[in-house]
Amino acid sequence: MTVSPSRVRESTEEPLPPLPVHPMVDYTLPSTPEPFQTDYQTGTPIAIDLGRSTLRLGLTTKQEPSNVFPSVSSRYRDRKNNKSLTLVGYDCFIDSSVRANVRTPFDGPMITNWDHLETIFDYSFVHLGVSSSGYVDNPIIMNEVMAPPFQQRSNLMQLLFETYAVPKLTFGVDSLFSYYYNGGSNGLVISTGHDATHVIPVVDHRPLVSISKRLNWGGNQSFNYLSSALSLKYPYFPARISNYNVENMVKDFCYVSKDFNEEIKHYLDLDNLEKKDVVVEAPFTEFIKPVKTEEELALEAEKKKETLRKLQEQAQQRRLEKLVQKEQDHVYYTALKEKLAKMNKKQFLETLRAEGFEDEADLNKYMASLERSLARARKQDIGENDTDTGPPSWPLVDIPDADLDEEQIKEKRKQRLMKSNYDARQRAKEEKELAKKQAEEEARKDKEWRESDLESWSADRRNKLEKLIKRSKDRKKLKEELTDRKSRAAQMRMKNIASLASDDGPAVSGSSARKRKAAASVTIDDDPNDTFGANDDDWAVYRDIANVDDEEAEEEEEQMILNLESELLEFDPTFTVEDTLERQFNWRNSTIHRFLRGPRDYQEDDQHQNHQIHLNVERIRIPEILFQPSIAGVDQAGITELCEDTVLRRLPQESGFSGDDSNRILKDIFLTGGQSLFQNFEERLYNEFRSFLPVGTKLKIRRANDPLLDAWKGMAKWANTQDSKGSYITKKEYDEMGPEYIKENNFGCVKL
Amino acid sequence: MSAENAQYLAELTDKLAAAYTFKTGKKMQRRRYKPLKQLLNDDLKRTQQKQSESSTPLPNLVSYHTLNAPPSLKPIRTYCDITGLPTPYKSPHNQLRYYDKECYAIVKSMAPGVDQQYLALRGANVVLK
Repeated sequence: MTVSPSRVRESTEEPLPPLPVHPMVDYTLPSTPEPFQTDYQTGTPIAIDLGRSTLRLGLTTKQEPSNVFPSVSSRYRDRKNNKSLTLVGYDCFIDSSVRANVRTPFDGPMITNWDHLETIFDYSFVHLGVSSSGYVDNPIIMNEVMAPPFQQRSNLMQLLFETYAVPKLTFGVDSLFSYYYNGGSNGLVISTGHDATHVIPVVDHRPLVSISKRLNWGGNQSFNYLSSALSLKYPYFPARISNYNVENMVKDFCYVSKDFNEEIKHYLDLDNLEKKDVVVEAPFTEFIKPVKTEEELALEAEKKKETLRKLQEQAQQRRLEKLVQKEQDHVYYTALKEKLAKMNKKQFLETLRAEGFEDEADLNKYMASLERSLARARKQDIGENDTDTGPPSWPLVDIPDADLDEEQIKEKRKQRLMKSNYDARQRAKEEKELAKKQAEEEARKDKEWRESDLESWSADRRNKLEKLIKRSKDRKKLKEELTDRKSRAAQMRMKNIASLASDDGPAVSGSSARKRKAAASVTIDDDPNDTFGANDDDWAVYRDIANVDDEEAEEEEEQMILNLESELLEFDPTFTVEDTLERQFNWRNSTIHRFLRGPRDYQEDDQHQNHQIHLNVERIRIPEILFQPSIAGVDQAGITELCEDTVLRRLPQESGFSGDDSNRILKDIFLTGGQSLFQNFEERLYNEFRSFLPVGTKLKIRRANDPLLDAWKGMAKWANTQDSKGSYITKKEYDEMGPEYIKENNFGCVKL
Repeated sequence: MSAENAQYLAELTDKLAAAYTFKTGKKMQRRRYKPLKQLLNDDLKRTQQKQSESSTPLPNLVSYHTLNAPPSLKPIRTYCDITGLPTPYKSPHNQLRYYDKECYAIVKSMAPGVDQQYLALRGANVVLK
């Protein structure tokens, strides 16, 4: 009649195919070491695009930078060989101990460690093939952040002019070089790089630095954000997630949502997760349980069975002995009671005292408890299986001792014991039969009721179920409340403890004024009336109020709920699987589950699943910060608002400019920088621009051909034009006028 | 470090060091290391001083600080701190935003300190100075 609880589980849909898993890969070195250039020429300008993460370097006669390597250096003291190692770029990653010491010259977007930068420059010039003695005979074109603090530029000048004695030097902003390379002359440059995002209007080749704006959010911040978010999402993740892994996750899986507000609403819906959830698995060595052969297993099972059987036998024997003892006691005390009924009062009391009872009530109490335990013992399994073959005979039991010899008396004692054993068993059997019959009777009545009046039956069951569920909920709530010391439940509990601890009412029971006065002046620590704890039994108070059998009761309740549910499932057509408590806790309905574990069930002991990270909401949340910096707590306007203000307000209000210039730059919105590689970035920007521009405004958005290398290429292209020749500051000028002297150019190098 | 690596890297260091012939030998002045924050503060002071020194106000003075984007004038949208879904709800006792009652259960039973970590993600944590 009962349905196994597993049936409830089985009735779900087909098992879903597993999601594709992306492995978390470790950093890999390029296969060839950093190349040394052989075609070095003196006098040819060198372009250096010193990025926060990568340095791009080369002679400007080339199409591409000849050397591209990470802008890091590492110093390591090899104690074994007593040697100091100074390494730069990819060389830092050859050995793990060197790698641990990797330092960048940057702090945020600024260069702060000039020693490291010098090391990197040394390395750069060597790889370019510079071999002159005492100076580097090439003009240098370098990038700088937009409007850097004066100290940055002066230090760079000092380093290049004094340590390397370069003849000429000029600076420019990398995103503007990128724009230049992509053939722009009028446009709005949106450059979203490693540490910041800039919005720079360019009119007639000239960047309007004074109305450019910078949002302090870049790729690096995105990586850090995802890294902290992941450590909060999976606080007990068993593997280390390196910065490199996080960077890859952002680069590979994040994308700009075309319509964030709509998309995010339904991101954790199952059908969307099926498409968008990304599983990244950290590498781990799988622990495989040693597999035992069939024979070994069988042998083990046999052994287990044997021990179990032995233990059961012993337990049965013990129970039987106890039962017999109790039955004998019962017979004895019943006889005693009968005897007592015939005695007079004095005798009565004396006999009672002699038996160890205080009065008749005590005896009755004892008898009642004896009967109860007897009934319980009879119900237990006491091995009645082996009494199938009719009642054996005990011929000696009824013959008086006088008629027997010694051997026979011994035998008789044995037989008597066996007989009482047998009788006890028989009685137990009867009790069981009776209980079984009662249960059957109840089931029959229940069935009758159900068949005659299903409605009231199911109402009754539902009622019971509801009560049970409510009780378990209440219990949970109480438990939760008890964790808060200030809650009412906790206060009540403390009150209970206090009243239990003080055995006879209020502590001050004496009526004399002196006593009361004394009581008033004592604190809880030196209250003479407070003897709690003097007796070890006092502490039992805590045992009384701690709900030891809470867990047991909970389990029982759960079982009852399951039983009721399965009954209802079987007979009540209106009660479906969806109504069961289990189904209501289904992972499909859990937002948290879908967020943490994606659109699949989660097995706690599956090692693969434990090493998996699910990226879902993060995929659009991270790039969205550029549009809504408030998500990450950055109190600045997002890209859209910055562009809107620039185009509609700042530019037309700037003296010498008008709305016509705004319309001109709208025809060329230019995206560059590492973060512009996010998918859909252009589409999203287009939609955002459309939302604030008048209908019919001409609008074009494009991205740099290669957002990473175009800045360097722009430098190289510019170096070969006549325009660049006049922009250099020579060493002579520097020596004469110092770092304050600067020649402004069209690449954002302005007087500070 | 393996012996192989050690030798390779030592040779590499020596080879490079021998090639640094292009340096003037003039060391850069030793400068005190300045972290980013101090650097920006110094720059701010420098521009302020420049402003005050000049008799006429400098209209086109550009510095790292003037480029900072202004705060947004648009109402901010709020999202669940745990799942990132849009939500109007906010827990009264630790200010965390939550999406549904399931998230609220987590927010309520959060270990001390974890709520601050969540808040730190959107810069709303309490910073003791």
